[in-house]
Amino acid sequence: MKENWHNTAATILVIIFGVLFLYATTDGFRAFTEESARVLRLYEEKPQFPLLELEDSKGRTYSFSEFEGKYVMLTFIYTACTDVCPKLELNLAQVYDQIPSKYMGKDVVFLSISFDPERDDVKTLEKYQQSFDSDGETWRMARIQDEQELEQLLDQFGVIVIPDGTGNFSHNSAFYLVDPKGKLVEVLDYKEPNAAAALLTARLAER
Amino acid sequence: MRPGILGILLYGILLLPPIIGLLEGQMILHMLVQLPLLIFSGWLCGAAILRRMPNYRAKWNGNGIPGILVIVFITTYWMLPRAMDESLVFWQVELFKFIGLPFAGLCLRDSWPKIKLVGKSFLFLNYLSMFALMAWLYIDAPVQICNNYAAQEQQLLGWGFLFITATMIIYLVQMVFTDQSEST
Repeated sequence: MKENWHNTAATILVIIFGVLFLYATTDGFRAFTEESARVLRLYEEKPQFPLLELEDSKGRTYSFSEFEGKYVMLTFIYTACTDVCPKLELNLAQVYDQIPSKYMGKDVVFLSISFDPERDDVKTLEKYQQSFDSDGETWRMARIQDEQELEQLLDQFGVIVIPDGTGNFSHNSAFYLVDPKGKLVEVLDYKEPNAAAALLTARLAER
Repeated sequence: MRPGILGILLYGILLLPPIIGLLEGQMILHMLVQLPLLIFSGWLCGAAILRRMPNYRAKWNGNGIPGILVIVFITTYWMLPRAMDESLVFWQVELFKFIGLPFAGLCLRDSWPKIKLVGKSFLFLNYLSMFALMAWLYIDAPVQICNNYAAQEQQLLGWGFLFITATMIIYLVQMVFTDQSEST
């Protein structure tokens, strides 16, 4: 009978610890993939956009402080990409179109950052910018030339880029919203442009 | 060679940094080679370790169920796409991999002979359906599930799971349709 008691206790303990363990490792059964865990972490950390140097499709170079006092809607892309990025950028264009024009450029700027600075030079970015009908002003396309600065930004924003050896990259995608103080405040599903537009408009109206 | 020594040797090889790099570099090798081999190394060492603690085993794992539950929880955790990703990023998760999985192998050694046929069948069918689900998930997923592995790699892993599922079904079918009366 005593043996039975130990055995039952062990069974119950294993179940309790097992469930607690799975609960803890999935952020309370909310994040089963690293991508969802990453988004949860970003919301907790709210990382600051580093003051690195950007070069845009018009050949201008400036630091991120250029956008101080404005919301910045960000995406990470590379122009040679054939699968996710075009979809991501088309959806970003949809968000762009839904934002009332009175805010555009004054309260909010759209920015697509390339993580392939070697190939995405000013000319390539300009071509890419035109193919999405962006004006290069309120929706800018830019690259970060300094490799260390780029790495640091990707790391802080949890963007993971894997080169596949044939010149393409696998990478996770989202819309990132940085607030007027340069803090990341939202990571939005790029497959839901309407929801993203509604959220951004609401934030702009609050100001 | 004694199985215990073989197990330690296998564990030692799996700990070598180039081997870790090689196995974790590919999603399918990570999930279907590294993780099972870690369990296997614990299983191999199991007999030697368990022999030294007979009272303890009989007391706390008399019917084998606590041990089986440990295995279920640990392997369930490693089925989460997140676990694989995080073991590449966080050393704590990697450490847990190299301790938890051999421990699961040890529990398997102790528990499997103790549980009844019903329990064994339940476990077998449970893992069969779990693997089939994983195959479907990884082959059919429209998005990249693991941040550290490309989408093609996850499809390959899906086919690997499908192969395992098919093998388990064939094993099951031959169990059912061949005469087991002499062998048992």
